[in-house]
Amino acid sequence: MESRETLRLPVTKIQKFCTGDGPGIRTTVFLKGCPLRCVWCHNPETQSAQQEFFYTEKFCVSCGSCCTVCPTGAHEIVDGRHTLDRGKCTRCMKCVPVCVSMALEGCSAPQTPREIYAEGMKDKAFYGKTGGVTVSGGEPMLYADGVAELFGMFRASGVHTAMETCGFFERERLQTVLPVTDLFLWDVKDTDDARHRQNTGVPFEPIRENLLAADAMGAKTVLRCIFIRGVNDDRRHLEALAGLYESLTNCRGVELLPYHTYGDSKRIQLGLPSSAHPEWIPTAEDLQSAKAFLRKYVKVI
Amino acid sequence: MDFYTVYTGKRPVRLSAALRQWAWRVMHGEYGDEAVKNDSVSMDEFADFAERSPLEKYDLAIRQIALKAPLRICGEESIVGSATLGAAIDHVVPARYQQNHFVSSISHLTIRYDKVLREGLNAYQTEIRERLADPELTEEQTAFLHSLESTVESLRIWHGRYLEATKDAKPEVYALLQQVPFSPARNFREAVQSLWFLFAFVRLCGNWPGIGRIDWLLGDYLRRDLESGAIDLRTAREFFASFFVKGCEWIQSNTPPATGDAQHYQNIVLAGIDENGKEIANAVTYLVLDIVEELGISDFPITVRLNRKTPEKLLRKIARVMRHGGGIVAVYNEELVLRALAREGYAPAEAVHFANDGCWEVQIPGKTMFRYMPFDALQLLNRALGLDGEGEIPDLRSIEQVYDRFKAELEATVKALYKSEVTDAYVHDGKRWRNAGGQYPTSVVSLFEDGSIQKAVPYFDLGPVYTVLSPHIGGSPDVANSLYALQKVVFEEKLVSFAEMVRILRDNWEGAEQLRQYVKNRYVYYGNDAEDADLWHARICDDFADMVKTCEASSDIPVKFIPGLSTFGRQINWLPNRSATAFGYRRGDILAGNASPTPGTDMNGATAMIRSYCKTDLEKLSCGAALDIKIFPESLKGENGITALKELMRGFVKLNGYFMQLDTMDLQVLKEAQQHPEQYKTLSVRVSGWNARFVTLNREWQNMIIQRTAQGM
Repeated sequence: MESRETLRLPVTKIQKFCTGDGPGIRTTVFLKGCPLRCVWCHNPETQSAQQEFFYTEKFCVSCGSCCTVCPTGAHEIVDGRHTLDRGKCTRCMKCVPVCVSMALEGCSAPQTPREIYAEGMKDKAFYGKTGGVTVSGGEPMLYADGVAELFGMFRASGVHTAMETCGFFERERLQTVLPVTDLFLWDVKDTDDARHRQNTGVPFEPIRENLLAADAMGAKTVLRCIFIRGVNDDRRHLEALAGLYESLTNCRGVELLPYHTYGDSKRIQLGLPSSAHPEWIPTAEDLQSAKAFLRKYVKVI
Repeated sequence: MDFYTVYTGKRPVRLSAALRQWAWRVMHGEYGDEAVKNDSVSMDEFADFAERSPLEKYDLAIRQIALKAPLRICGEESIVGSATLGAAIDHVVPARYQQNHFVSSISHLTIRYDKVLREGLNAYQTEIRERLADPELTEEQTAFLHSLESTVESLRIWHGRYLEATKDAKPEVYALLQQVPFSPARNFREAVQSLWFLFAFVRLCGNWPGIGRIDWLLGDYLRRDLESGAIDLRTAREFFASFFVKGCEWIQSNTPPATGDAQHYQNIVLAGIDENGKEIANAVTYLVLDIVEELGISDFPITVRLNRKTPEKLLRKIARVMRHGGGIVAVYNEELVLRALAREGYAPAEAVHFANDGCWEVQIPGKTMFRYMPFDALQLLNRALGLDGEGEIPDLRSIEQVYDRFKAELEATVKALYKSEVTDAYVHDGKRWRNAGGQYPTSVVSLFEDGSIQKAVPYFDLGPVYTVLSPHIGGSPDVANSLYALQKVVFEEKLVSFAEMVRILRDNWEGAEQLRQYVKNRYVYYGNDAEDADLWHARICDDFADMVKTCEASSDIPVKFIPGLSTFGRQINWLPNRSATAFGYRRGDILAGNASPTPGTDMNGATAMIRSYCKTDLEKLSCGAALDIKIFPESLKGENGITALKELMRGFVKLNGYFMQLDTMDLQVLKEAQQHPEQYKTLSVRVSGWNARFVTLNREWQNMIIQRTAQGM
């Protein structure tokens, strides 16, 4: 594919030394924008494709720099202390670069595939035979062209490529990424279509169809399944997962990811209402018994 | 009885229940408590003691220790010999005359063990007697050789007492002692007993030697026994475990908090190549790792020599031990270390046997008198900047002018060290170079240092084949960060003038919070794999190393002067003398340890830290430079956690690292350990070749470790 200098990917973070996003040591690239609205989302800053900023109140030193550049008065110093009114904010982002204390931080920055590639190559010495680069999000398939260009470069350098996807995308995009993607970390959030609609905003069926299509085209996959107490921890879902796994030829295994509430701190930084559900956190025993059940049918990672 | 681990999986169980229970008791202070009750032997019975020469006093003391130190024989042990006198734990010869200790002891060395294993102590006696026949010997040399002979005799006395004590109580051990250590070891059991007996005696006399390459020392004995069927692996492991449990005999149940116990420099080095370039990793290597994996013993800090061909199986095993935490295993990149030693003029056949001083400073074991001289480079920078007082602020107009001033301070420091430690410390008496004074008797260790018998010259007097003095630069990451921040904020972005910056730092950032936040948050410092600050670090170390070598070349004194980089824990002791830093830290903030990033500045994790560290030409820091990395157990879960640790080690070798301490750490556990020390008696942490039980550290040290740990979150 021809490199286009204009092509930019909205990167929220490039994280080194990731050991939970595919095999070996990986550099994980998080992209912004997602078609799903999962109620348990732990990376809320990657949902909207719009630019946003985090505000971390405890870092703020109330210097007032942001107030001097804010065109709408969203930032104010009241009685010597900084206040932010998100209602007035137009996300013009002018305040972010003037903040000295990192209390205001942009959630993403556009980067070219070549720039991301250069960053990812820094850790090549640690990838060995198994590790490599994972693109996550958000939903990388929103940027299939850019990701394909990026993966093409890594592949040419002998670096393993993996994509974490929610599976909800236009089918023909598969053709773009498949030749350069070594592994798909394919999210299966729920096999119950009604619950999937209710908790993510989209149906499960197209995701399942995409998964089967990808598998038929030879895509290697790992099913990544969030495990939420009282939501999708029932035997029927686990059985359906086992059935799904068995219907795939190139699936390498199933990974259960226990729900956690860490994402809530980011919601607060984004000015969103809290949505933590501590009661959703599975116990270690819950997780163990679900894994033990699955192990009868599938390879559990 | 679960031996502490930070990992969610339990430690394996391979040893017998009896042995595990014994280990638990010893690790909780049973023998250490006993030892402090028997502090020292008394010399008061010798009426003319005060009139005797220092060497005579020493010989008498060693003999008295051999005669009078309590013996310890316990049911569970398969080898005997114990350092039972508590004063030895405080690094002194445990003998008192009229209440007082009168001679210090030796550490930071690994003595020679292989000759005792192969030839027996009797061979030493023969060698000394032959040497005494030399008519050319001076009176001083003759006296020294007699002292060495007396040391062998004292060992024989102590050995005789153990023979007597084991005759009925422990016939298997009695049989071992009839052969070793005075005659050559013939099998694995004898070799282990011989090695331990020698180590224990040297420790009993107050010295803290390292062990060195234990798999090289013992590997052939075990291989032969396994091949002949004389022993099986399980039996060998159970037998060998005594060595490690006994190595914990100086742990006390209630060690007074200080800089930590379990740091008597009894380091073990594993694996690596032999003189034919062949990997030596053998069954002993894996038994050592099995035992510490099971018992979590950290009293023998283990460093494994890695190279590009290190067997996969060994990397896996190391990773499994690392994952349990406690910092038990660290790694050298032996390829780089061997290049560094070649650069220092060691012959390849000599260099290949490198071990360390019992910590991580590399030395040729059994041939080296070693000492290092630490200094704080950040204080030198502070002086260069005019931060150390209220005087006139120097007029510096570019970052290069700043650096030149720092370099001048650095050079003056290195030269002053060379003068005080080398040119003023050694004199030529017309026949040979010798120590100008201040040395004390050392026969117990001199005996086991090649060169001393041949030259008939003791440890401090250039007796060993090599005398190595090493200035160690400390705080170099903080200096790099300071220079980088000054370069950006003063000279490139010109947000403040140099003079204003100096005033701000003199005022400890008071009233300049906005600028402080700016420099803290806007710049990327050493340890994040960002070029600018990392290259400052490389430049500082490079210039330092060149200065050291220039000094060495300036005289004929046969002393190696080699550069190293460390702080160990001195970043704490140095705090009161350090001012605020240009990268936004206030006076009193905890700064960088060894070659690790300044706490709070490293944001990109383990791989970025390794890459930053490796941008410095570590081959020139030939004594060593340690990188300490703490990883949360969460990142090391499952099979992929093992893969991750393996690849970190492989990457470290590929990128030309020197010494790396990967440790698994759990912040919550550390905080709990602060609250409930009694529940965390065996939780150990390691900071660069040095380690301690966490609860024995005072609050400041604990906080430093917690702070570092927090960076991984």
